Amino acid sequence: MASVVRGVFKAMREKGLGNFIKEIRDEGYLKCLSDGNLLQTKIHNIGATLVGVDKFGNKYYEKLQDTQYGRHRWVEYAEKGRYNASQVPPEWHGWLHHITDHTGDELLMLKPKRYGAEHRENLSGEGEQYIYHSKGHALNPGRRDWTRYQPWQSKDN
Amino acid sequence: MGFVLRALRRSKPFLQSQLSRRSPNPTPLRWISSTSALSKPESSAAAEPEPVPAPERPRTPVGGARLHFASPAEAIEVFVDGYPVKIPKGMTVLQACEAAGVDIPRFCYHSRLSIAGNCRMCLVEVEKSPKPVASCAMPALPGMKIKTDTPVAKKAREGVMEFLLMNHPLDCPICDQGGECDLQDQSMAFGADRGRFTETKRSVVDKNLGPLVKTVMTRCIQCTRCVRFATEIAGVQDLGMLGRGSGEEIGTYVEKLMTSELSGNVIDICPVGALTSKPFAFKARNWELKGTESIDITDAVGSNIRIDSRGPEVMRILPRLNEDINEEWISDKTRFCYDGLKRQRLNDPMIRGPDGRFKAVTWRDALAVVAEVAHQVKPEEIVGIAGQLSDAESMIALKDFLNKMGSNNVLCEGNGPSLLADLRPNYLLNSNIAGLEKADVFLLIGTQPRVEAPMVNARIRKTVRATQAKVAYIGPTTDFNYNYDHLGSGPHTLLEIAEGRHPFCSTLLSAKHPAIIVGAGLFQRQDFLALFSAIEAIAKFGKVIKPDWNGLNLLLLNAAQSAALDLGLVSNHNESIPSAKFLYLMGADDINLEKLPDDAFVVYQGHHGDKGVYRANVILPSAAFSEKEGTYENTEGCSQWTVPAVPTVGDARDDWKIVRALSEVAGVCLPYDNIGAVRARIRMVAPNLLSVDERESSTVSVEMKPPFAEKLSLAPFRKAVDNFYMTDSITRASKIMAQCSATLSKK
Amino acid sequence: MAFTMRAVKVPPNSATVEEARRRTIDFFKAACRSLPAIMDIYNLDDVVTVSQLRSTISSEIRKNAHITNPKVIDMLLFKGMEELNNIVEHAKQRHHVIGQYVLGREGLVHELGSKDQGVSEFLKKFYTTNYF
Repeated sequence: MASVVRGVFKAMREKGLGNFIKEIRDEGYLKCLSDGNLLQTKIHNIGATLVGVDKFGNKYYEKLQDTQYGRHRWVEYAEKGRYNASQVPPEWHGWLHHITDHTGDELLMLKPKRYGAEHRENLSGEGEQYIYHSKGHALNPGRRDWTRYQPWQSKDN
Repeated sequence: MGFVLRALRRSKPFLQSQLSRRSPNPTPLRWISSTSALSKPESSAAAEPEPVPAPERPRTPVGGARLHFASPAEAIEVFVDGYPVKIPKGMTVLQACEAAGVDIPRFCYHSRLSIAGNCRMCLVEVEKSPKPVASCAMPALPGMKIKTDTPVAKKAREGVMEFLLMNHPLDCPICDQGGECDLQDQSMAFGADRGRFTETKRSVVDKNLGPLVKTVMTRCIQCTRCVRFATEIAGVQDLGMLGRGSGEEIGTYVEKLMTSELSGNVIDICPVGALTSKPFAFKARNWELKGTESIDITDAVGSNIRIDSRGPEVMRILPRLNEDINEEWISDKTRFCYDGLKRQRLNDPMIRGPDGRFKAVTWRDALAVVAEVAHQVKPEEIVGIAGQLSDAESMIALKDFLNKMGSNNVLCEGNGPSLLADLRPNYLLNSNIAGLEKADVFLLIGTQPRVEAPMVNARIRKTVRATQAKVAYIGPTTDFNYNYDHLGSGPHTLLEIAEGRHPFCSTLLSAKHPAIIVGAGLFQRQDFLALFSAIEAIAKFGKVIKPDWNGLNLLLLNAAQSAALDLGLVSNHNESIPSAKFLYLMGADDINLEKLPDDAFVVYQGHHGDKGVYRANVILPSAAFSEKEGTYENTEGCSQWTVPAVPTVGDARDDWKIVRALSEVAGVCLPYDNIGAVRARIRMVAPNLLSVDERESSTVSVEMKPPFAEKLSLAPFRKAVDNFYMTDSITRASKIMAQCSATLSKK
Repeated sequence: MAFTMRAVKVPPNSATVEEARRRTIDFFKAACRSLPAIMDIYNLDDVVTVSQLRSTISSEIRKNAHITNPKVIDMLLFKGMEELNNIVEHAKQRHHVIGQYVLGREGLVHELGSKDQGVSEFLKKFYTTNYF
């Protein structure tokens, strides 16, 4: 604990108070006060190794000693307020869920460039425009036209 | 190896009994005998002695065909698989087998084309013949013993099939012919279950035959049906065979499009997927389609067609066999006009507002407006014009409606100012389309049958090829696909022949069955009556009309024309249009409206937004021929029915229903509520329209003629059809037809 | 289906026409109260207004105005309640609601007036469809 406090003071001295407070806010330490999950993650992070950071800024940690098996890999989301599991891109999913020991960065090198859509998080419940509508749905902006003939349009219109 | 197999087969019953005795619940054991049993036909024939054919009922010919014997002495007897069958002399072995009810596999043989004998698929065994014979090219001889299901024949077919499949790509899943492919079917029925070919297949460069026919030449099996069709039936020397051996391929000798009005038929006769329809490519599979047997209305021939539809869409049009009209061919316009049915459609009733724009309204409002205006004008200022695609039901409804409104100005476009509509022989193709095959001299007056009625032209060409009949032609320069004498270009030549001063007169006089064909384009001339009497003078002079032969023919242009004349839609448009205040256009797009007064109210009832719509005040959407039940009479006076294949688009209604509804809103209700009642009304006016698929022969002599006052003008004849591919609202809306006329029609 | 059955209350039979009438009015009120929610979940704002739907409901009820047997009224009420529940529970799709309550069987429901008085059967059918 003492080393933590010492580290804090060191950082404060190096960066100056303004930068330090900004960083504290960006890293979500202020949010910790109201969000217990985030606080617990932050506490976990102490002494863990940062394995990688994905393109969205999510940080992946691992701690092999002093943790219960199966709880030794975790992610700290880049989005501190509205995080959810679908923000983990597919290349890190395997590592995070103990499917593979290859990290996302390693797997990314194997991924063919041509295929695969960009990863998008699941935006359910975030508003009408994010909901998937089938191609004939009334609310689909690109609603498919099933008419099998082309009606005549008068030229003067 | 063969010995072991034979030994096993011999011991099969014994082994089987042993096995079944051992197990109380015997599993069905099957003995797989490989095709090596067939690879040694002699030995297997020896091993299994020919079973004595059990007496069966007499077999019926393939397709229920009937044989025609010129005289009993001409009949010969042959034996097919042991059954005696009597056939006329001169038939081939293949035809004899068909008469005996045995369908022989074939690729190159086609009953309407010359015999090539190059696919070898039709090999059969004939007794006392050392080798299997190609049955399509071998004449049947008396007492011939033909065997079609012996091991020799089977092995021969299997071998031929293996050779054919050697260079045939295995692309059935992406082939448009898949499902209706002769090679697919016959390889299932007659082919081996495996191939022995391990080398690379040959490939052939695809040819560009224009916007209608798609070629995948690697699939071609060199049956040469298309080459023979092009040279014999279509009369164009475009296709041919190049190279020898495995380098043999079908092609146009130089880079050239296939410029024939019948080119679509090569798609049907091609037994594989080498020639397929370009507009239909990858659109549907044939087993998804619903076929509706209907008739074609793009010209006056009334070719029999099958409309293949999927859901609400017409996917393609195919010919239907009718020996009297179109045999088994149809013109390209008939076959490929279908995409016009999906474009430029009128789907809502519309009223032109004061700002000159159309606004969609309900039927109730549209009919109310039309009825109101119709009552505001004088009865004699009401004019109704039926279009060239109208059916008889809608025309009688229109005529009845206008008559009830007090007007008799009803006409059908294309029928011209002065008409001889009192007698049916004066406007029909009296010798019938099939009857033209008897003719030995043709005199074509002001008609280009190749563009006006390609099926009639195909008939004339068939006659010319078969009997060397002479064709003479009077009219503007045009191209024919058979030899002809161009006698002149106007009435001048006509007069010379009528007066017997022309060299052609001797030919005409020596003919047994002379046929004069007069084009309906002449209807538009002011001096038609004078012209027609000159033609009649020729007919009288050349003895064209005999008790058993009426060779004076009129070749009409439009599907609605003859029915309109039967029903009496015969008013003169030169007189009625300039005085019209209320004009009812029932699909009439080609009528000249320049003389129409500016304050006239125009109602357009039709299915396409075409020329007629632009002058219209109210648009009433109606059904196209693929969507309604209607009676059409063709140029030879044979009435036929269309059958609805797809539903109507949008808010459209059937033509006669619109007129019937309008009549009620206008307060002069027509007395029929369903199509049966409309037909009952037609029976009172023109009963011949109801005898479907029959031609009523004319019995009235053609002597009675109304007097005429016009003088014969010497202006030369003009072409009736400028662009073969675009003649009516459906074909003008079609993209494929637009492509065709851009690339194929000669300028 | 189960949740529908749960939601539909089966009250004891109405003793008199008066009681049935009261229940009908209650049902109408309940239906009207659920209309804003229905408009929302089926996105009906661009095709119909609340007042139009309200008049559709009342005309559906008025269709049975001639019935005087309280048992029959109860049965109809039950059916109506069931239907209302189906709609509120989103057991239907948008086009069901539009087809049944916005466009009736013969064009627009609230457009049905006395326009077609005195015209023949043919014309009535003609206005609605080509196929008869």
